[in-house]
Amino acid sequence: MIALLVANSLALASLLIMLSSGLALIYGLRDVINFGHGALYMLGAYLGYSLTLVGGFWLALLIAPILLALLGVALEYLVLRPLQARSHIEVALVTLGLGIILGQILIFVYGGEARSIDAPAGLSGSVVVFGLSYPVYRIFLIAMGLGSCAGLALWLRYTTSGLHVRAVSQDPSVARMMGINADRLSLLVTVLSAGFAGVAGVLAGPYLSVDPGMDVTMIVDCLIIVVIGGTGSIGGAIVAALLFGFVQVAGSVFLPDLAALAPYVLLMAVLLITPRGIGRGRAPA
Amino acid sequence: MSGGAASPVAVRYSAVGAPLAALAATALFVVGAVAPIYAASEFTLRIGNQGLLLGMLALSVAFLMNQAGLVALGAASVYGGAGYLFAIGINNWDLSATQALLAAFVILVVYAAALGALIIRTNPLAFMMLTLAAGEMISHSVMLEGLRDYTSGADGLVVAFKGSILGLQAADFANPVHFWPLAWTATWISGLTIRAVRRSRLGAVLRAVRQNEERMRFSGFDTYAPRLMGFVLINAVAAVAGLLHVLNAGFVSPDSLGLSLSTNALVSALIGGVASAAGPIVGGLIFAFAQDEFGAYGVTQLLTGVAIVVFIVLFSKGVVGGLTSAARHLRRPSDPKGGAR
Repeated sequence: MIALLVANSLALASLLIMLSSGLALIYGLRDVINFGHGALYMLGAYLGYSLTLVGGFWLALLIAPILLALLGVALEYLVLRPLQARSHIEVALVTLGLGIILGQILIFVYGGEARSIDAPAGLSGSVVVFGLSYPVYRIFLIAMGLGSCAGLALWLRYTTSGLHVRAVSQDPSVARMMGINADRLSLLVTVLSAGFAGVAGVLAGPYLSVDPGMDVTMIVDCLIIVVIGGTGSIGGAIVAALLFGFVQVAGSVFLPDLAALAPYVLLMAVLLITPRGIGRGRAPA
Repeated sequence: MSGGAASPVAVRYSAVGAPLAALAATALFVVGAVAPIYAASEFTLRIGNQGLLLGMLALSVAFLMNQAGLVALGAASVYGGAGYLFAIGINNWDLSATQALLAAFVILVVYAAALGALIIRTNPLAFMMLTLAAGEMISHSVMLEGLRDYTSGADGLVVAFKGSILGLQAADFANPVHFWPLAWTATWISGLTIRAVRRSRLGAVLRAVRQNEERMRFSGFDTYAPRLMGFVLINAVAAVAGLLHVLNAGFVSPDSLGLSLSTNALVSALIGGVASAAGPIVGGLIFAFAQDEFGAYGVTQLLTGVAIVVFIVLFSKGVVGGLTSAARHLRRPSDPKGGAR
């Protein structure tokens, strides 16, 4: 029972980690929260749906993130960079508007009904792990989530660009004085963030459903996670995503009537105890 | 930001113009309250009423945005919440209409104070995220299975009250011709209240905190209570708008709580311009009529998104702000402050 609970919350947390660490990365570099991130995730899911119909799940998992990463390039050059001089709130509002536009275009193209993607042949069905029958796809999801977590941690810890990202996140002006090109890093981070949103979108297809409300649901969950994690802290976001996944899953098991409110209760509780969140996010400039 | 007090010239202008302006405003108020009833069709008035209520909601968003630098993305949750509480007060708590109105208002003010106490301490971006989350929380609560007896889930609630409020029956509130003067007056009262707060010490402190919170704290100012007061104030305005809405519509549904209404209010504020009290109300009217024009094609939401981007990037002063500075520029073409920001 407990093992099942933990496994299910890990599966949900895997998606949340990919999305909320993307949000936290952009925040770290640009002080901007991308309110359109939910729409990017939704685009990833719908692209995943179409590409799966054309060339199968694995092709979708490869192509959709690449397309999203290209969109990330556009986001960086057409939105974040030209609006650099504007207040962070204004840029956040612009991303909110762009997210609404993207979501509406998707609804226009695909219609209002929910779609579903079947898990690929190798990943459908269940296996018995530790005497427990568990869907293979969720194990795959957990592996992808933990894998991207590890990849992110290794990149930030052991590469030069990772070091630079950490430096800018900690203190942008000092980092710039030391000769770090924040613009180039920002491009890298935006591309990564959008690409991860694409991966999460495709992965969500066989696990959750692909429907017109998925962008709002996901962005709200991710914003809660980012706030709980301490805005801009990637480690905090990962821990918060795990916590969030557990609360969500445990809530739906033990208090199904009130499960929808569980994330908000968690949020309020964390804010009461530690208003800055659990991670060590940078204080806003 | 602070309108006419930019230079000594402007002060002289307003000293001469103040009684005139007050007279013009009074005339505008009276004409605006009466003329549309005779001039406009019932259908136009209906949309006008929606526009005024949306304008009040936009006014609350704009005030906090302009004065405190905080964007509230959950405005609709209080607006719709007011409707739900009023309906529940009548249907489930056996209150009279007036009692239910007061109960709903008090509950929402208390809610706003509690929520504000929790989230106003955070930075502006986190505030934006948290108001969005709080709004979604209210939306989800209404849909809870356990509260179905109170809220009827996705079906919404019909609100039929007996007796009268301020001498008006339920049928009067539902009649757009009778409702227009009421909405018009309420809009003016909220607009003038917001304007007065803007010019008060509270407004000055809020603007200073927006500029540099740390410096204000070092200077011995309490930076927490003023922001909390501002937050409660805007929610009170939103609650009044929501109560008027439920009286007018006689119906409340999850639509009146949702994120899309919150963004509509935000867009109205941006269209009209956040720097004045008149701007958001004009924006609300523009939005309501535009929605009527384009709503049939199902593109309202899309246009909402486009409007957010366009007005922030290209016309950050909004319609009223843009016209005001254009007029000022015409009057004193030599003043460099009159033109671009």
